[in-house]
Amino acid sequence: MINDFNYLKPGTLKEALAMYAEHDDCKVICGGQSLLIIMRQGMIAPEYLLDIKHVDELNYIKFDKKGGLKIGATTTHHAVEKSDVVKANYPALVAMENKLASIQVRNWGTICGNLAHADPAGDPAPVLIALKANIKVGSAKGERTMALDEFFVDYFETALQKGELVLEIQVPVPQPKTGTAYQKFNLLESDMGIVGVAASITLNGNKKCKEAKIVLGNAGPIPKRSKRAEEFLAGKALNDDVFTEAGKIASEECEPVADIHASEEYRKHLISVLTKRILKKAYEEARG
Amino acid sequence: MIEKYAVLYPHTKFHVINTHVRNIDGVAKVTGRAVYTFDVKLPGMLYGKILRSPHPHAKILNIDFSKALELPGVMGVVTGKDTLGVKQGIWRRYKDLCDEQILPVDKVRYIGEPVAAVAAITEEIAEKVLNLIDVDYEVLPAVFEPLDAIKKDAPEIHEGFERNINVTRHIEWGDVEEAFEEADYIREDWFKCGGQAHMCMETRCAVSSYTPDGKLTIYHSNQSPYYMQALMAGVLGIREGDIRVISHYVGGGFGGKFELDGAIFCSAVLSMKLRRPVKIVYTREEDFIATKRRTPMYYYTRTGVKKDGTFCAREAKVFTNGGAYTGMGATALYLTGFFHSFPYRWKAYRYDGYRVYTNTLPSTSMRGFGAPQAMWCSEQQIEWIAADLGLDPIEMRRKNAHHEAYVIPGQATIQSCGIQQCFDEIQKWIKTKGKLPKNRAIGISAAGFMSGGIFNWFDTPYAFSAAMVIINQDGTVELHVGAQDIGQGSNTTLAIICAEALGVKVEDIKVHSGDTDFCPPDLGAWGSRQTLMAGNAVKMAAEDAKRQLLEFAYAQSGMNIVYDLDIKDRWVHAIARPERGNDYTELVKKALRGKDGHRIIGRGYYTPHRKGMISPAYSYMLQGVEVEVDEETGKIRLVDSLTAHDCGQPINHLGLIGQLEGAFSMAAGYGYLEYMPYEDGKLMNPNLVDYKVMRATEMPPTPVAEIDTYEPEGPYGAKEAGEGLTNPTAAAIGNALFHLFGIQIKECPIKPEMVLNTLKEKREKEKNSKK
Ligand SMILES: Cc1cc2nc3c(=O)[nH]c(=O)nc-3n(C[C@H](O)[C@H](O)[C@H](O)COP(=O)(O)OP(=O)(O)OC[C@H]3O[C@@H](n4cnc5c(N)ncnc54)[C@H](O)[C@@H]3O)c2cc1C
Repeated sequence: MINDFNYLKPGTLKEALAMYAEHDDCKVICGGQSLLIIMRQGMIAPEYLLDIKHVDELNYIKFDKKGGLKIGATTTHHAVEKSDVVKANYPALVAMENKLASIQVRNWGTICGNLAHADPAGDPAPVLIALKANIKVGSAKGERTMALDEFFVDYFETALQKGELVLEIQVPVPQPKTGTAYQKFNLLESDMGIVGVAASITLNGNKKCKEAKIVLGNAGPIPKRSKRAEEFLAGKALNDDVFTEAGKIASEECEPVADIHASEEYRKHLISVLTKRILKKAYEEARG
Repeated sequence: MIEKYAVLYPHTKFHVINTHVRNIDGVAKVTGRAVYTFDVKLPGMLYGKILRSPHPHAKILNIDFSKALELPGVMGVVTGKDTLGVKQGIWRRYKDLCDEQILPVDKVRYIGEPVAAVAAITEEIAEKVLNLIDVDYEVLPAVFEPLDAIKKDAPEIHEGFERNINVTRHIEWGDVEEAFEEADYIREDWFKCGGQAHMCMETRCAVSSYTPDGKLTIYHSNQSPYYMQALMAGVLGIREGDIRVISHYVGGGFGGKFELDGAIFCSAVLSMKLRRPVKIVYTREEDFIATKRRTPMYYYTRTGVKKDGTFCAREAKVFTNGGAYTGMGATALYLTGFFHSFPYRWKAYRYDGYRVYTNTLPSTSMRGFGAPQAMWCSEQQIEWIAADLGLDPIEMRRKNAHHEAYVIPGQATIQSCGIQQCFDEIQKWIKTKGKLPKNRAIGISAAGFMSGGIFNWFDTPYAFSAAMVIINQDGTVELHVGAQDIGQGSNTTLAIICAEALGVKVEDIKVHSGDTDFCPPDLGAWGSRQTLMAGNAVKMAAEDAKRQLLEFAYAQSGMNIVYDLDIKDRWVHAIARPERGNDYTELVKKALRGKDGHRIIGRGYYTPHRKGMISPAYSYMLQGVEVEVDEETGKIRLVDSLTAHDCGQPINHLGLIGQLEGAFSMAAGYGYLEYMPYEDGKLMNPNLVDYKVMRATEMPPTPVAEIDTYEPEGPYGAKEAGEGLTNPTAAAIGNALFHLFGIQIKECPIKPEMVLNTLKEKREKEKNSKK
């Protein structure tokens, strides 16, 4: 049962940051899709909830050819999924959102809330890291921006400091001849992934890999890049054998934890299969 | 079968049966007006919570709740010592199988078992106070698996049950040894069948209100208000008639809600102590860890057949994980043994079942009642035997299947059976499917099920089903039934039967159910009994009322006595001259006057007699499922299906389709999704994130080919539907995997990792044998 708490409802970002600085034992709530579950399970019992859902100045999707994509903190999954600019420029994000949870959850939950929750099985992080996203955070004292890759610290733990909110996700315009793809493995469509893999490939010419990014979801405490597999691919002429080999390397590099749904060995196997498949998909997309 | 029926009764044409009738509870449900137990709120009501055992096996040495009583808002605490300590069970005829104290006095036997219950002015306080109750346990060694629990040195879970064997069941006919001698080919296999959670949308909940006049009113979510009334009388030491159980709307049962649960018992004990209404609602987690579940089983089965595919003999041994208490597990143990023979003719058959106590959640009945396990093993082994002998698996089944007038020695007589037409339909379907993609295959499985049980271990003196029909002066009808609508739509089905029999429209019928003060006792909604048993009672009651009406109509008409009268669609007429008649409502008014205002009341009941050991009638079905498997990950997807289904004369078309869809999803879940892993007696996934239930996105199309038969024992020829279809799907999925890869998976549910590992093993074996 959810504990009693004091409810704070700021009207503006400034107010929100001030309130957040002022109150100890305060949790941010946006869509509540993750937070309320752990509150109901009694895992946390904060004294204050700071509701930012209605801070409209954080509700936006902006895009320009130079600066890329900017998604504000209160933007829902649904808004991202239905956005024309996202569809046109980051189809991998839309495909990921389509399979994230159910329509109801997407209508209310936010992509930034998902990142701040830092569940290693979350879908957005691997794709965004593969797209080289940055995350802007800020407190009453000021703002800072970091690579999303550096945002995750441990299971359900991020680099956010006391009083800091996630403000925005920034996704650069992909280089020409870049393809990005994501796939998760689950038993029920739209469940969280048992594992997931995102990959981005930038080609040099038609076959050669200029740069690759491979990000593994739920294969360790945080979304994890498979740097060895990325290095292996750099400069290679790409084909099915190369993808298979990269999959093997990625699976050796990760440290998934067994649970009732899948053994460690099986998870590693899935990583290698998914990596192979997703690299191929990204490659085909890069070739256009 | 309408045509056949029409030959017997040439004037008959259905006016209501199997027409498009909407669920009569539909409006109340979709507008949120239906009051479920969960919604009940009484003046002065308190909220209860249950403290549960963290140990799988322990002695309760002492319970100290003095600190709890100090918390403001806490009104009282009860433990086993506040109860009569009655060991209760639903097999009331067999005292040694009444083994469960819902608040145990001195010992707990599974994690989650109630230890104490509190009542407070809010649910929050009730939950918080649980932490303030100190229980001293002496932890005892525990055992979790039946094959460990039967070992000589295993811990003793209940006194006096040697090797923890709770119940044994034996079924035998023919000379098994001799019949095996006749076989050209014998195959034996071991299987393992998982448990499954009932997963009702409405978790267990109750509101009990005891008043100082010694009367107890209980709102409770259950499948049989009469059972609850009788069982509660037993554990509380008060008369059945002083207890009223109200269950107007129930959010699902699936076999898990016709025994006492902690919510009903603890709320009543608290209410009797505190003299205030007490409500207890289980959380989803409590529903998972502290109710009961489908019985996990270990199956050994040995089958002998002739070269041409004729079945000779089968012998099966089954060990079931009974968990801590008997529940309905003894019936599941019998039924799995019986349905393991289904739907085939065996010259000789022998079954030995052992239900074993363990320190886990008790197992019990669940939709299919032992038959899904039986079919999972039987239908796969039969498929493998056909392959071993190079025979067509459908033709081999066809050759050995039940038929009308077949007698299962000592067990049952089959009066209607459409299985041959089922084979035809599925064969046709497979043909139209043509060549499938490389990663897909079709698996089939046959099944059948009972239409209500004949057994009376509950030891009721009442008829199994009863109904009363009262006609009002405006022609509307009060139909009182003890049958329980738990979402399966029995109120609608019974209204249809009543309307058909009486000759009125469905909207003329008001169904009164789910209240022991106003409804006749009835065993309730389980074992697929209500359409046949309560249906017959309703038909009899409606016909009784109609006869009384027609007496008046006849006296008025002045017709020659060789003419018969009837009512159809509110039209009272001579059967031979249907165009000449009178309005039904007018007749009702006249009849009332003629009777000096005495109401017209029809009464009906049904108790099976001379119908064998199991059931008066059996449904038959064959299912084909098209399955796709990702060879690299082992992931299963159901692509398409067809079920050929013989349930006699369908009564309610829409209801039937809904029930079959629901059964499919539950059966498929059992086949490849729903697992209940335990670690040291602790369920590892008691939530809906980790326990996987089919969703709309996982459902393939589930069309049904209805087979036209007529069951003489059923009302208007109807028999079971909606439970039996939980039986075939797991085996059909398994058989598809067999055809796709040649692998034989002997454990369900089939997890993707198992598919991969089995495939890998098989390929390695093949490689080695090539070398
Ligand atoms: C049924 C269901 C299925 C789901 N399936 C999936 C799935 O398939 N894949 C997937 O990736 N996710 C899934 N989710 C998770 C879902 O995506 C997230 O719950 C949701 O996106 C979180 O957003 P929110 O706005 O609801 O966050 P909240 O629940 O409000 O917050 C989540 C956490 O982030 C913090 N937080 C929120 N916003 C900020 C901010 N601006 N700054 C700092 N901290 C913040 C909160 O304090 C809290 O700790 C599922 C959830 C549910 C309920």
